[in-house]
Amino acid sequence: MTIILFKIVIIFALVLFMLPKQYQYYLGLVLHIAIISISSSWAINALAISSKVTLPFIPFLGNILSIEIDQLSAFFILVINMTMLTGIIYAKGYLQAYFHKKSKTEMAWHFFNFLWLHISMLLVVSLRDAIAFLMIWEVMSLSSFFLVIFETEKKETISIGIKYLIQMHIGVIFLMVAFIFAYVQTGAAFSFNGLSIYFASHNPFGLFLIFFIGFGIKAGFIPLHSWLPHAHPAAPSHVSAVMSGVMIKMGIYGILRVLMSIHHDLFNIGLFILIMSLISGLLGVSMAIVQHDVKKLLAYHSIENIGIIGIGIGLGVIGIAEDIPVLAALGFAGGILHILNHSLFKSLLFYTAGSVYKQTHTRNIEELGGLIKKMPKTALFFLLGALAISGLPPFNGFISEFLIYSGIFKSLHSANLFTDIVLMFSFTSLAIIGGLALFCFTKVFSVIFLGTARSSKVEHATEVESSMLIPDFIIGFMIVLIGFVPVIFMQPLSQIIGLFSIKMGAIQQIIPILNNISISSGIFIMLIGLLWILRTWQQKRHTIKQNTTWACACKVTNPAEHQYTATSYANNFKQLSSKVVNVKKDFKDFDETEIFPKARKFETHSSDVFEDNLITAPTNKILIWFEKIAVLQTGKIQHYLLYALLFLVLIYLLTHFNLI
Amino acid sequence: MISLLLILISSLFFVGIIVKTKAKIAARKMPSVLQPVYDVVRLFKKGAVYSQTTSAIFKMAPLVYFASVFLAVLFIPIGSQKALLSFDGDFVFFAYLLGIGKFMMIIAAMDTGSGFEGMGANREALYSMLVEPAFFILVGSVALFTNNVSFQDLFLHLKLDTNLYYIIGIASIYVFVYIAMVENSRMPVDDPKTHLELTMVHEVMILDNSGFDLALIHIVTWLKFSIYGALISNFIISNSWAIYWQIAAFFGIQLAFSLTVGILEAFKARNKMEKNPQWIIMLSAISIVVFLTVLIITEKIILN
Amino acid sequence: MTYLFIILYAITLIYFALSERVKKFVWLLCMQGFMLFGIVFFSLHKIEIFDFIFILTETILVKSLIVPWFLNKVRKHNQLKRIQETSVPVFFSIIVVVLSLIFSFFLSNFLNSNQIHTKYFTVAFASIIFGIYFIIIHKNIFSHVVGYLIIENGTFLLSLAVGSVMPMMVNLAILLDVLMGVLVLGVFINRIGDAFESTKIDQLSSLKD
Repeated sequence: MTIILFKIVIIFALVLFMLPKQYQYYLGLVLHIAIISISSSWAINALAISSKVTLPFIPFLGNILSIEIDQLSAFFILVINMTMLTGIIYAKGYLQAYFHKKSKTEMAWHFFNFLWLHISMLLVVSLRDAIAFLMIWEVMSLSSFFLVIFETEKKETISIGIKYLIQMHIGVIFLMVAFIFAYVQTGAAFSFNGLSIYFASHNPFGLFLIFFIGFGIKAGFIPLHSWLPHAHPAAPSHVSAVMSGVMIKMGIYGILRVLMSIHHDLFNIGLFILIMSLISGLLGVSMAIVQHDVKKLLAYHSIENIGIIGIGIGLGVIGIAEDIPVLAALGFAGGILHILNHSLFKSLLFYTAGSVYKQTHTRNIEELGGLIKKMPKTALFFLLGALAISGLPPFNGFISEFLIYSGIFKSLHSANLFTDIVLMFSFTSLAIIGGLALFCFTKVFSVIFLGTARSSKVEHATEVESSMLIPDFIIGFMIVLIGFVPVIFMQPLSQIIGLFSIKMGAIQQIIPILNNISISSGIFIMLIGLLWILRTWQQKRHTIKQNTTWACACKVTNPAEHQYTATSYANNFKQLSSKVVNVKKDFKDFDETEIFPKARKFETHSSDVFEDNLITAPTNKILIWFEKIAVLQTGKIQHYLLYALLFLVLIYLLTHFNLI
Repeated sequence: MISLLLILISSLFFVGIIVKTKAKIAARKMPSVLQPVYDVVRLFKKGAVYSQTTSAIFKMAPLVYFASVFLAVLFIPIGSQKALLSFDGDFVFFAYLLGIGKFMMIIAAMDTGSGFEGMGANREALYSMLVEPAFFILVGSVALFTNNVSFQDLFLHLKLDTNLYYIIGIASIYVFVYIAMVENSRMPVDDPKTHLELTMVHEVMILDNSGFDLALIHIVTWLKFSIYGALISNFIISNSWAIYWQIAAFFGIQLAFSLTVGILEAFKARNKMEKNPQWIIMLSAISIVVFLTVLIITEKIILN
Repeated sequence: MTYLFIILYAITLIYFALSERVKKFVWLLCMQGFMLFGIVFFSLHKIEIFDFIFILTETILVKSLIVPWFLNKVRKHNQLKRIQETSVPVFFSIIVVVLSLIFSFFLSNFLNSNQIHTKYFTVAFASIIFGIYFIIIHKNIFSHVVGYLIIENGTFLLSLAVGSVMPMMVNLAILLDVLMGVLVLGVFINRIGDAFESTKIDQLSSLKD
């Protein structure tokens, strides 16, 4: 029954193209809600009966293709639905600016792709057959590509989109090779389920590596990440929220799904995932700090958070391999809970950043400032997201990091030497990542929202309409809920972890601890409330005055000129990390002969070290060769005929000497 | 409960003793040990001036800062005296709790729109980020050593039975003293008595706070010192001692700690600002040596 | 107790990475001498007067008194700058020294054989790696001498680790070697300092013609 409804909804998507512009959004909303309710019912069902739900979907290559929803898929479906729901609600207000610029078909195409991105992600997590999976994976990449290039009038958007598409295809090739290789080696089913037969009889590392590259490009592990910081800023905000919030998690899903079928030689795999994740986490956040474009900065933070998720999963795998159930259970629990958490706060941050962009038309944080007075609600939600992403209690980011931490600390004693050193590096890196995230988000929040305006673009900003704030409220509620009452998420979480054949004792032990955290958070809030009351009482009896900021006895006409900028804030960190973040200064030094120096401009540009050295430099070298070959392309028809003639002669000579 | 009371009592005198020590060394006339307390009481009796640039963040921050540190106090046991709140992994909560207080103070400083305060805020963010690993590695090593993961059990099971324990103890105390100095922005990292705003860290962040808020911030400084003093005392106090000995030892250690801070501040010059990161990362390096020592003690590294 | 001094020795290596002043280098070398004395003294099974005097001369007298004193003299004679330039920021040097310590501790765990006393090997290996690194990153010839001395301390510990056969003779030979080396280099630095008024190695390459 629900399957038929699902198909009807998919077909109904075509109606979008026939509707006039003002109704398209509402049809899209209805379709999204329909899909959300159908798929969520499957997912909740799967979690409720704690086993797999299988539904026949469509006939495909002579077989019946079925949708298989186990607890892992169910979890991902719920995460996708959550972000998609808020995304489509947010899109209404955000797309209004484009309403007059875009034609009817363009708008319909956008909504159609947004819908298909949703459907394809749902199917990615619920199809097992390899061909169908690859096809729907491709649909996901294509629909997100069309969403990224929504602002087609900008030239760079297209080139970014094409880069994105190429990198996604490289990923697909790796996946295809991996599936085919496993199939050829074993002859078992050409699907995820068939992989376990291959892994049972072969050394799993090689094939896993290929899968990791394929899925890692989607997930954005460093050094496979170079599409991410470009695609996210180019896309509209609701699209970047969905892409960063859930689409990159499809890569994580793939890795988890492959891991489910590996049962031996796991240590190297876990170590590999862990090392990649530590690199991604540390470098992702380091590169984020030097960015000025708020959406690019958030994109780098996605890399960092993928790193944290990967740290959890990698530690979990090491835990299974070394037979340390605490590490296995809590590592996986932390990693998987962080998938949900990241989808929440990252989409919240993208929505609020998008609202700021909509009202000020700039993403450069150096031009913003003082917005908290003009957009107080947006500012509050951005702050909530910033606190959560920095992993600070009592919000949700802390809970998942805490799970990973306690997994590490509890298993330190029972692990062997090498694992201990690995664990030491992991928690040190987690602590550094947390500190750097704090550094970064104090910078972003205060430069965008606090102080005074740095340019005239801020002047006319007003609070966004309420439809754009609804998603913020929903997500904000979830963030606080997970932060204060994490226990209610432990039961579904333990079901998912159960799929990885882990002993579940640790999860039961963590519940009283989480209750203690809830109590402590409660006390924290109560303390703040108490202090607030005390201060109000105290200040009622004394005079409260307003004055200018203390400028150290110097008369300042415009305080904005003296304000700390994002560049200066990041400067002292930049000096430490000069090896990994590439920041170029654009400044002409003073000449000795220049007695009256002219006005000067100072600019800094940051570029991605990995992108420069792994992609741009090699392709540039190849391009030089291509340019040399391009000499042949003269554009004259005589020359081309001459080439054809030469080719014939060549063929003749080769056959004559029996070379071919 | 007793541990909370002890920490609160010792915190009252801490800064006073530091000031007194410094004055004594500089042969100045000494203020009373309770002078900081009088200052705070006076601040509580005052109104406040808020900058026009600031927003609600600026008013919230001192409250959150105070609440976070006060809650952190509840996690600290002393000797055999239990902490009010204790659960496995509470030191992670402790560290991140201090983090949220710092987060709010940093953005509050940025909220004033003053270049000086931005400078201080940014340094505070960097230094607290760099000092975090040292704390975690150190506590992690002790966790590995005792096979316990909450402050309370950690210190209860800390036994002085091997020679190598003294290395752990001494190095941990050394690192904790300096972590306390960094967290409180004291001497080698920051000079609280400097007169140039450009070279300040913590003092410049709170230039615009006044009245009730400033009083809270001052109390937080005392509490932070007292927390680290209590942590240090836990490395020394054995829980087999009688209760009055433990309390006496606690106050003795707090006194010694405050004297140490005073002496350090009197004789040591402040690091160059750009040398601070490497100096702070050195603390992590020493904690890693402690970690390696623990690995030797627990016989994970087998040597002959 | 041997472990105590081994760990303290490891900590001196961290301080070598942290410090930038020439005076501090000399002082740290002096400290390392004392650490070495502690390590050897507490690993003696029974105290014989000859051994004791030998160790005392070797570590305390030579390593922590004569050599630092001589280096200090060289430093003063050449009026070296207080701060020595490095080609790698100190921040990274500290990370390197920590990694080398972890690596060598880890390695000694694997070298678990009866012939080697791995407890000395831990810091010995780290010391040698760090000494080489120290020479690589410093631009001044005086620091190079310091680097050689760190390596020498490492080989001293290494000889403790591997040597049950006549370790004292081996040490004596090494010791004389190094002492001569330091003397020669000291004289060399003095001469160079007189000729170039700087002890940077960049200018030394012009000597080859």
